[in-house]
Amino acid sequence: MKDRNFWIVIALITVVFLVYWLLGHPYFITERAVMLFSIISLSATLMYYIRAAERGEEFYLRPIPALKAVEEAVGRSTEMGRPILYVPGIQDMDQVETVAGVVVLGHVARMTARYETSLNVPVSRSIVMKAAREACREAYMVEGRPDMFNEDMVHYMTDDQFAYAAGVNGIMVREKPAACMYMGKFYAESLILAETGNSIGAIQIAGTASQAQIPFFVTACDYTLIGEEFFAASAYLSQKPELIGGVKGQDMIKLVVIAIIVFSMVMMTIFESTGFGFNILEYLTIR
Amino acid sequence: MSRLNKIEDIFLKIGSVDRRWIFIIIAIVVIVPILVPIGLPIRATDTSKKVYDAIEALPKGSNVLLSIEYSPSTKPENHPMTISIMRHLFRNNQKVYITCLWPDGQFMAQDALKQVAEGEFNKIYGEDYVLLGYRPGGEAVVKGIVSNIRKLFSVDARQTKVDDIPMMDGITNFKDFDFLFSASAGYPGTIEWVQYAADPTGVPMSSGVTSIQVNEVMPYVQSGQMVGVLAGMPGAAEYESLINQKGSATSGMDAQSVAHLVIVLFIVLGNISFFIERKRSKKY
Amino acid sequence: MFWKRQIPIFIVTVIGSITLFGWFIDQPNVKEFVGDDATQWFDVLASFAIILGALNLIKLQLQKVLYQKPGWLYSVVAVFGFVFAIIAGFFVKGVDDSVAQWGAHVTSDGTLFKWMFDYVFSPMSATMFSLLAFFVASASYRAFRIRNFEATLLLASGIIIMVGRVPIGGIISSWFIMYLIVLCLGIYVNSLKQDMKITFVFVAVGVSVVTIGGFITGWPIDQPGIFYLPSIQEWIYYYPNVAGARAIMIGIGLGIFATSIRYILGIERSYIGE
Repeated sequence: MKDRNFWIVIALITVVFLVYWLLGHPYFITERAVMLFSIISLSATLMYYIRAAERGEEFYLRPIPALKAVEEAVGRSTEMGRPILYVPGIQDMDQVETVAGVVVLGHVARMTARYETSLNVPVSRSIVMKAAREACREAYMVEGRPDMFNEDMVHYMTDDQFAYAAGVNGIMVREKPAACMYMGKFYAESLILAETGNSIGAIQIAGTASQAQIPFFVTACDYTLIGEEFFAASAYLSQKPELIGGVKGQDMIKLVVIAIIVFSMVMMTIFESTGFGFNILEYLTIR
Repeated sequence: MSRLNKIEDIFLKIGSVDRRWIFIIIAIVVIVPILVPIGLPIRATDTSKKVYDAIEALPKGSNVLLSIEYSPSTKPENHPMTISIMRHLFRNNQKVYITCLWPDGQFMAQDALKQVAEGEFNKIYGEDYVLLGYRPGGEAVVKGIVSNIRKLFSVDARQTKVDDIPMMDGITNFKDFDFLFSASAGYPGTIEWVQYAADPTGVPMSSGVTSIQVNEVMPYVQSGQMVGVLAGMPGAAEYESLINQKGSATSGMDAQSVAHLVIVLFIVLGNISFFIERKRSKKY
Repeated sequence: MFWKRQIPIFIVTVIGSITLFGWFIDQPNVKEFVGDDATQWFDVLASFAIILGALNLIKLQLQKVLYQKPGWLYSVVAVFGFVFAIIAGFFVKGVDDSVAQWGAHVTSDGTLFKWMFDYVFSPMSATMFSLLAFFVASASYRAFRIRNFEATLLLASGIIIMVGRVPIGGIISSWFIMYLIVLCLGIYVNSLKQDMKITFVFVAVGVSVVTIGGFITGWPIDQPGIFYLPSIQEWIYYYPNVAGARAIMIGIGLGIFATSIRYILGIERSYIGE
């Protein structure tokens, strides 16, 4: 959207909201006003940096070894003549991590199309199967290799967690992929997958925001994207300005959150020890 | 020197041992203590004691919601917790309402009720306990229970109308319960109950989780949004010792203790081998 | 192209905005949509979508069997399991209507479906989960090496938690841990000074101090608490672990926020292709 149009839309929304507020804000839960203000200000920060990136401003992103390794892994598989196994997690498309996993799959599919490497994507949910197929189909078309795309490269196994882990393990042991990528939401099956991948000598790259599984992936995989690095993967791989701007905006938001934490800690310490000031937690607690 | 070199060679061999030897040794050290129990003393931690104290402090006849969300895969960790909690609740004559956020949870709940409610305490279905059953939807089920439980559960797991169940009188939403205990192995589970039910309404809750989940759940325990937590099989064994009734968790602790010691031994041996290798590569 | 591009983005934007801002609105219909309907719509979609997945599974497995591709025997087992579950769920109850009605037969004792759950699904599920015991051992053995300071910290805290969490940690006296620390420090001093005399003096003094302390206090198993494994383990769980967990949770939360805003505003469109 051009700058002028963007500011017109923002002005319109602001006017509508002001009118709504002045009319007595019917149905609005006033106790959650702080949260609304937070969402709007944090979104505004994100939008500012996204638009700055679209205008050509360059932002530095620190190199993430795991994302550099993705292309190396695809190259390794091509040289060895073995497929790549991509596991987009075991949850459905209602989880943000699964959507992020499908997005990264699109980028990996572009690389496999370019290098003419076979790609195997066993999935645990039918909707993920459809979304992943579309992502792969588009990737192969963009790379000019629609002939290489085969619908069955993305195939459904089962919804059950451990049955799925058993099925993926079977694929690993029989087909011996050269590279295994685990990008999405995982639970206890993460170590089963990673250890089996390790036993077949595959290079393993994992990315998840499932906090409890991060240690297992860090221990068993060659490279791991931890938490936000996984969400930023799409920006890194595509190098699109708007996505890079979003990552920069995220970092700025984190600075704001750190400042609020430090400020709140100081305020609460003063309030609880001297009674001076106010209980800032009352304002920050949302119900 | 040659003797020292021979010893170093042995450690280097241990350092590069085939993983299948590790698997065999782990299998032996887990099986043997189960067959020949050692009887190690169980010491209850503060987090488990908080759960016990919270349930013990409930007045007789309290309405307690027990939510079962685990499957047969984590039965060794979660099922002993469920059994012990049920024993504690039935011993204190509490009214127990069981719901399940996982489909497998209903099977687990039925097994536990058969063993405890019917087998040990002769409790009457519909008066002392009711199995509401599983409903799909994850956190939507939690939100539904918070707003209107009767809209979500028109019949129980036995297809009996909820209106015809005596102990459902007066129960319309989550606030009508005095306590919630969630035996959880993942999503949806403990965190959804904290976020959508216990914290917004102020109804006290506690949970029993698998060892892996304790990390995710501990911030809620520390902030007071949950009253203690039973952490994995050790937590289940601690609760069994608190209610003075040993079960499968207690017998599993011997095996877990020995297995952990063996893993530590492997790590130490692996590091010795690592240092020898590093020393030799520096030399050459 | 319109149907494949603009319509999905429009749906994501509208539904995402309603779900996000609906949380601030105290209107019953909006609350019901945000709280119940939106998630249930998804569950209904996912339930019907499973047919697609099932058909895909059967198609691939049957192809393997018919063309006798490598590993086709496993596909025979897969197809057999699929058909058996369908029969047990929809066609053969195994008991009279008086024992269990259709629907309740899934969890009622004596039915074919319950038999399948108890004697096939449960043991196999438990078996797969039990693999973790072996894999944790082999992964720890391979990964826990003292390569640098952070790896040493990880190793030490891992050992403390593993031993302190189980009953055997409770019977290891804190004095034993103190002796161990003296010995480890002695090894460290030796690697620094490379002098046997200094090392010997250091270890001898350390052992003497610990022994005298033990005799004076009467060797209590859990004192001093700072060396008692269960106490150290609890401290690690409550403080450094929770601090790290909270930091990661906040980071992940912000990542989810930023990613969701990008989807709602239509900035990120890779999930429907380029």
